[in-house]
Amino acid sequence: MATTTLTPAASAYRSGLYEWLTTTDHKKIGILYLVNSFIFFFIGGIFALTVRTELAAPGLQILHDELLYNQLFTMHGTVMIFLFIIPVLVGFGNFVVPLQIGAPDMAFPRINALSFWMLPLAGILLLSGFLTGGVAQAGWTSYSPLAQDRPLASTGPGEDLWIMALLLIGTSSILGGINFLVTIFKMRAPGMTMFRMPILVWTVLVTSVLVVMATPVLTSALIMLFIDRNYGGHFFDAGTGPGSAILWQNVFWFYSHPAVYIMVLPAMGMISEILPVFSRKPLFGYKAFVFATAGIGALGFSVWAHHMFTTGQVFLPFFSLMTFLIAVPTGVKMFNWIFTLFRGKLTFSTPLLFALGFLSMFLIGGINGAFSAAVPVDFALQDTYWVVAHLHYVLFGGSVFGVMAGLYYWFPKMTGRMLNEGLGKIQFVLMFAGFNLTFFPMHQLGLAGMPRRIADYAANAGWNDLNLAATVGGFMIAASMLPLLANIFISRRAGKPAGDDPWEANTLEWATSSPPPPYNFDHLPEIRSERPLFDLRHGREAGH
Amino acid sequence: MSSTPGSRPSTTAIIGWLIAAAVFLALAALVVLNAQSIWTSFFPPAAKSVEGTEIRNLYDIVFAIAVVIFVVVEGLIIWTVVRYRRKPGDDVLPPQTHGNNLAEITWTLIPTLIVLFLFVISWQTLNNVEAVNPKPDLAVRAVARQFSWSFEYLPAGADAETKAVFAITQQDGPTGGLFLPAGKTIHMYLHSPDVIHAFYVPQFLFKRDVIPGVNNQFDLEIPASDAGETYRGQCAELCGIGHRTMTLDVHVLAPADFQAWYDKQVTAASATPPPPPSGAPTIQLVAQGLEFDQSSLTGPATGFTIHFDNKDNLISHDVDILDAGGKKVVDNKDFPGPAAQDYPIPPLPAGTYKFECSIHPTQMFGTLTVQ
Amino acid sequence: MTASSTLVTTGDPGHPVAEHNPVAAFPHDTRGGISNPILGMLLFICSEVMFFSGLFAAYFSVRAASIPWPPITKDAALNEHFNLHAEPWYAAGLTLILILSSVTCQLGVWAIRRDDRTGFIRAFGVTLVLGILFLLGQIYDYSTIGFGVSDTPFGTTFYTLTGFHGAHVFGGAVMLSVILYRGLAGQFSSRHYDAVEGVSLYWHFVDVVWIALFSTLYIL
Repeated sequence: MATTTLTPAASAYRSGLYEWLTTTDHKKIGILYLVNSFIFFFIGGIFALTVRTELAAPGLQILHDELLYNQLFTMHGTVMIFLFIIPVLVGFGNFVVPLQIGAPDMAFPRINALSFWMLPLAGILLLSGFLTGGVAQAGWTSYSPLAQDRPLASTGPGEDLWIMALLLIGTSSILGGINFLVTIFKMRAPGMTMFRMPILVWTVLVTSVLVVMATPVLTSALIMLFIDRNYGGHFFDAGTGPGSAILWQNVFWFYSHPAVYIMVLPAMGMISEILPVFSRKPLFGYKAFVFATAGIGALGFSVWAHHMFTTGQVFLPFFSLMTFLIAVPTGVKMFNWIFTLFRGKLTFSTPLLFALGFLSMFLIGGINGAFSAAVPVDFALQDTYWVVAHLHYVLFGGSVFGVMAGLYYWFPKMTGRMLNEGLGKIQFVLMFAGFNLTFFPMHQLGLAGMPRRIADYAANAGWNDLNLAATVGGFMIAASMLPLLANIFISRRAGKPAGDDPWEANTLEWATSSPPPPYNFDHLPEIRSERPLFDLRHGREAGH
Repeated sequence: MSSTPGSRPSTTAIIGWLIAAAVFLALAALVVLNAQSIWTSFFPPAAKSVEGTEIRNLYDIVFAIAVVIFVVVEGLIIWTVVRYRRKPGDDVLPPQTHGNNLAEITWTLIPTLIVLFLFVISWQTLNNVEAVNPKPDLAVRAVARQFSWSFEYLPAGADAETKAVFAITQQDGPTGGLFLPAGKTIHMYLHSPDVIHAFYVPQFLFKRDVIPGVNNQFDLEIPASDAGETYRGQCAELCGIGHRTMTLDVHVLAPADFQAWYDKQVTAASATPPPPPSGAPTIQLVAQGLEFDQSSLTGPATGFTIHFDNKDNLISHDVDILDAGGKKVVDNKDFPGPAAQDYPIPPLPAGTYKFECSIHPTQMFGTLTVQ
Repeated sequence: MTASSTLVTTGDPGHPVAEHNPVAAFPHDTRGGISNPILGMLLFICSEVMFFSGLFAAYFSVRAASIPWPPITKDAALNEHFNLHAEPWYAAGLTLILILSSVTCQLGVWAIRRDDRTGFIRAFGVTLVLGILFLLGQIYDYSTIGFGVSDTPFGTTFYTLTGFHGAHVFGGAVMLSVILYRGLAGQFSSRHYDAVEGVSLYWHFVDVVWIALFSTLYIL
């Protein structure tokens, strides 16, 4: 456990409120992103728990108003995707990437701060509808014509608030993506060629390309919908006007499919940092991994219509083929991860446990996605709980487990203190068990014919037991948040001091104090491979 | 928590392992006792249409491959995790393998071949499912409205625009729903005047979106052996606050029974409605904003007329009357607003009835007292 | 800050650890290549290209599905107004103004590169005036064109495309004003003109979008 002597000595973040509100330091902004994202994680989680409580048994028990039910699942999806998952990964990227490339900050620190502060504002805007006449209720996918301003569709301010909040979030995203790209291309320390960058930096790079290229298309879709709703436009107003409902779906999914890679690639990058450290070996197949990531990014732009197979209006064979093909680079990554562990010497600290959870759950999510790639099978499974199972296995079993791994791994660097291992393991067991209990039965529910987005179901449909099991699992996930919160609050003050490098890690962020000084590094070690700290510790020859 | 080599595990650890073993055995017992129903839960319901059987066969192949991949990869993860634990005190670095090009090529090529195979067989199945017979035996248009289904039976040689011979709405009870003949080729047209819905019947393993402005259509054939059965379906695309109520029933009849039923419907549709009883009073009833303007009506047992004014633009309503037991005694045709129609109500036994809009029964209903 | 012995690595005396300056990567980095703000502006322009792609994709999709195009409504006067092909001259004039403004903008960049500050100010001033002229011309066009945003998908797509382009021109005009202000305050020279170059790139982009718009709406 190395310790750097710094002059002046770095202090832990005990800065005042003014400092936090006006900071342009990527480390503080990263932490702001994390805190904000977790607040919305809990809000989105409460929406989900309400939905699950209603669905635990047939009959409308707690929500007599189906409108509120529709609002709740709409807000759950929107909050989780746009105010939790995407920003929490940006938060990790913000904190870690400049450190990992040996830079003093991001390329545009003030734009970085702006990008962050747009998020709480957008969240308040989005949720304000609960106080002012209703929030959006057309699903996070907001299909037109249900999203249009007409009776029995989306009257009221909710949908407009949704549009405006997403416009803000999209802008925040795009500015952040530009910031990451310039930082990564231009501010790497001497010696760090592109192929010596940590894998997390690569995944953030590809994610940022997706953000910059795909998000503006969502912006255009949102603007067109706003014009339809408020200025009598005729883009998407099928049913009562000449617009095209399919056009909305195409423009929307052109962004929202790459968005799922935006939501998972950085998490994959994080576990690609963690698995090598806790196996005491390098990442297996670094270059292949980079090409696979780039391949996923590129292919990700060609599959959007697989969300529209049942519309009968898309060229099915092309999108089916591309969707199948994207499984190949994903599989390459999976095998590279497994062979990183293979013949290693594994230490089962909490970060590794969550990373292993990611591997096993993302595998399931990838496999059940392949069913939907087979178009006729998708005819049976689309818009049923099978899809809910799939998306949660990749986004929760994948991304959220990756986030938890990253949290336990980098918390010491952020705060100078270790999170408690015992509490971490309790959280892992509860979360893993609860997650599978919630979402595995949804495969069966979807196969049996339970559609999505219904507030209630027939008592004789045979779906009662599985729904009850899923609800119990949901509350287990909620329970697993308690050890997490306790851990964070206790460890911030009383956790074991971490020192510079508590994990015997490989990358540059561990070559400075915990937390780092505002300027990040006093000195940088020589960079001659993707594991500069490993080389420093063991000598360059030991790494080969 | 490391232990020095050769020491006994603590009491806590023993109790922990015992609890884990007990839980595992309980779960294993549950699985074994319910093995049959657990196994079938991994599959869609038995297919009741020709196209559905094609889809089921494809599913079975995908499922088999998925199981193999899952067992191999998950097994590899579990084995690696168990086998390569770091022994306490072991500080020697493991071999620092950076990669292996042969391995990369292998696990790129083999999955590519697997997915190409899956793509080809699913494309073939797709062509079979999407195949359309140029001369179907029957053409039906399923109309999805917020929030109910109706089914319009079209004459021979119809296309997407043809007007219906007669229409059946989805209602509770055996007289409502989609009636289809077994062993015949049926061509389904889909139409929505408002938002996107989806026609979904789990036992056909099939759904197709009903999109305003789009003429989706497909062929459906139910094997002759399924005559006499009823299948449940429901709307599978979020369509608003009544989405969960948009169920539909598919009643399959043997061809002769279907023909009899069909003829009866044609006769009923072409019959002129009975004239309102002379001198009978007219009750005014307005529908606006998905509500009736009155929640209780009174009418004479000798018969009367309801002058029904539907003020909701582009939204269809009607006024049906049900008896105290919930049976529909007067079934009137719905129509979209803004428009008004006279509904003649024949003589009814005195008593308390319920009136409702059959399309929005949860919001638009009231009590009718017949004296 | 002196080299600390805690970070000597291999102990190989032939290859001592170099003292790496951790703050080497600011815009005046001698490693060369494109500067950070210019790269940032180029990426921003990429995102704007994708934004307009979404709008253009919607336009072509709407147009392909609407036969005939322009639509024939019950209002004969409206149908007349939809015929943009008949009178493209006004819009062609606006196109010329914008192309000219791109020329003057580039002249301004070349001027500041050779330290001709007066030339740069003059060129950017003319560019701003031309840009404002374009905007005024666009507004006048809207007032006489004879159809609105809710008049069939034709009206909706026309106003959405030209309107958002106009908004981008307005943004560009604001940026030109800031550059002019900073230029007049003496903040730019042949060694320091990144912002000038960045804004000029944005202005050229806005011009290219207009050429695409004009060709699509008035010619195709």
